[in-house]
Amino acid sequence: MGSDEAYNFVFKVVLIGESGVGKSNLLSRFTKNEFNHDSRTTIGVEFSTRTVLLNNFTIKAQIWDTAGLERYRAITSAYYRGAVGALLVYDITKHLTYESVERWLKELYEHADPHIVVMLVGNKTDLESERSVPNEEAKDFAEKKGLFFLETSALDSTNVEAAFTTVLAEIHKKVSSKEVVRGPMSAVTLNSPKAEDTEKKSCCKNI
Amino acid sequence: MDKMENGRRSVDTGSIRTLSSSHIDDESSLGSDSEINGFASERQADKYGFIGGAQKYSEDTAQDIPPAVLRQREVKWLDMLNHWDKWMIKRFNKELDSQPGDPKWLDVIEKDLHRQFPFHEMFVSRGGHGQKDLSRVLKAYTLYRPEEGYCQAQAPIAAVLLMHMPAEDAFWGLVQICEKYLPGYYSPGLEAIQLDGEILFALLRRVSPLAFRHLEKHKIDPILYMTEWFMCAFSRTLPWASVLRVWDMFLCDGVKIIFRVGLVLLKCMLGTREKLKACQGQYETMELLRAIEPRYMQEGFLVQEILEVPVTARDVEREHHTQLKRWKKNRGELNFKPPPRMHGARIIMLAEPPRRQDLQQNPTIVLEVPQTIPQLQKGKEEKKSKKKKSMKKSQPTEEIPNPYPLLSDPQSSSTEPPAPPPGNSVTPEAAAQTETDSAGEQKTPPTDLPSAKESTLQRSTQSLSSTEQDTYL
Repeated sequence: MGSDEAYNFVFKVVLIGESGVGKSNLLSRFTKNEFNHDSRTTIGVEFSTRTVLLNNFTIKAQIWDTAGLERYRAITSAYYRGAVGALLVYDITKHLTYESVERWLKELYEHADPHIVVMLVGNKTDLESERSVPNEEAKDFAEKKGLFFLETSALDSTNVEAAFTTVLAEIHKKVSSKEVVRGPMSAVTLNSPKAEDTEKKSCCKNI
Repeated sequence: MDKMENGRRSVDTGSIRTLSSSHIDDESSLGSDSEINGFASERQADKYGFIGGAQKYSEDTAQDIPPAVLRQREVKWLDMLNHWDKWMIKRFNKELDSQPGDPKWLDVIEKDLHRQFPFHEMFVSRGGHGQKDLSRVLKAYTLYRPEEGYCQAQAPIAAVLLMHMPAEDAFWGLVQICEKYLPGYYSPGLEAIQLDGEILFALLRRVSPLAFRHLEKHKIDPILYMTEWFMCAFSRTLPWASVLRVWDMFLCDGVKIIFRVGLVLLKCMLGTREKLKACQGQYETMELLRAIEPRYMQEGFLVQEILEVPVTARDVEREHHTQLKRWKKNRGELNFKPPPRMHGARIIMLAEPPRRQDLQQNPTIVLEVPQTIPQLQKGKEEKKSKKKKSMKKSQPTEEIPNPYPLLSDPQSSSTEPPAPPPGNSVTPEAAAQTETDSAGEQKTPPTDLPSAKESTLQRSTQSLSSTEQDTYL
């Protein structure tokens, strides 16, 4: 899983959502298989990578994580740049975090690639007894908005793999298909041609 | 799990989950608190209080500081605390601490309490006195400055302060940092931090053109690497001994120290062609900056480097001016105009009005510093200060006496330079002892700052960049 492996693609995926919903632990669960009850508040940007095999393609997922607090949205444009996937996370036990999903979507579409693949993620299913957001309601909302949807638990790993790999697979599909109009989507990887002439690894493809 | 209001609860070593009910142990969180969360009792706290985590003291990177130096720092630290009392208002207890806060802020603060320095014995226990105090301090700030509210990076700042002083003092320390040292950093819009990011980047061009060009080429926005550094004043980045050294200097000399640390780290990690060969892209570069090599963060090396960075407060302000113009051109007016920042304790002190009735109070720590403590030579920037006339020249370094028993001379004319020692020397025992020794002695706060007669106050922050004195031993 090291970054030294040859890979075909690099996909940048961002984690967004209110403070405390579990973004950092989703990141650590997916990329390091770790979970921490007392992980530090994210200030600034955190990121981690994991390389996965999808349909015989080696895909390096670069997952970015940032502070969820409202105030930090002022500095997020740098964060969204080049992102092709997003996991919009809420906490199933805190209805307020679900209510702000619309606002997050708006922010996302304002700053990120219009073709960005988005999955709505209801985290903390291990706390089923404290649920305050019904599964059906969120599922319907996601469908209406054209978002993928899964409920996860970073704590016990439920659906974490699935959430990320679904998004990555969908990105790959878009990237490979000729339907995607040329534009930002071609900047799929961070190793864009003009910057990385000396890239020795088997480079990311651009359409 | 039994709920207990006071006293210790039985040890629960099996569970990793923290216990939600309150666990109050006001004496010390050692032992009892750290046994929660599954930490076994054989996990020893290091001398700073860390029982685990990356900032815990490690043999490999340890540096032995001579006891004489440590004692000298102790003296300076107590002197600084003594001085701090001067402008603290007793409002904290009566108003801010007792009022309920805005529920919106309380909710966010609550979520963050267990997420600050979770490996530190003081904060490891949910509902423990450390987290409780953190909650009080942060809540008080939202009441004190409702238009500012709470910003997450304030929590580590408050936590560091709480590791060294009681909640009320920590609160006022936080206020000073948020309003005088780093104004606008925590305000809505986060404009100040973005601006400082641009300033840092601009200053880098001078300090390490190679690093500058690399970051520019790969379009690496300063916000992507300096946010946590600056907003938390490096408290989450450096090994703890270095954090304390940097904070010493920062509190004395202001934000230029923060800039210098950033510049040093950037230069060390990206300043040579060899290093740059290893990072071909944006992501690799950012990974490098996120994992600074320990040898560059070690206090001996780091402090020396900081002192040698040719960046003054004036340079910072000049660049600030330039970047502000640029901002206004590209992004319009600032939404949140913070007051001008103040570069260090001396300047802040000079700006305080000479007489404030409600500042008359009993300092909790009174230090009578004997005459023999040497003083620092002043730096160039202080030449214009009125104080220069009253300042003595530097005396040769003498043997450092133990300050605690020597409280006989209240008129001692020493004006101890303020670079405080690392926080580990401010133990509750030390503070209590000093208090006992000076019990009954009412110290009148001075009314005129430039007066040289008020000896027990920490007067000026001599330029700490002076290389003539070994302040930063």
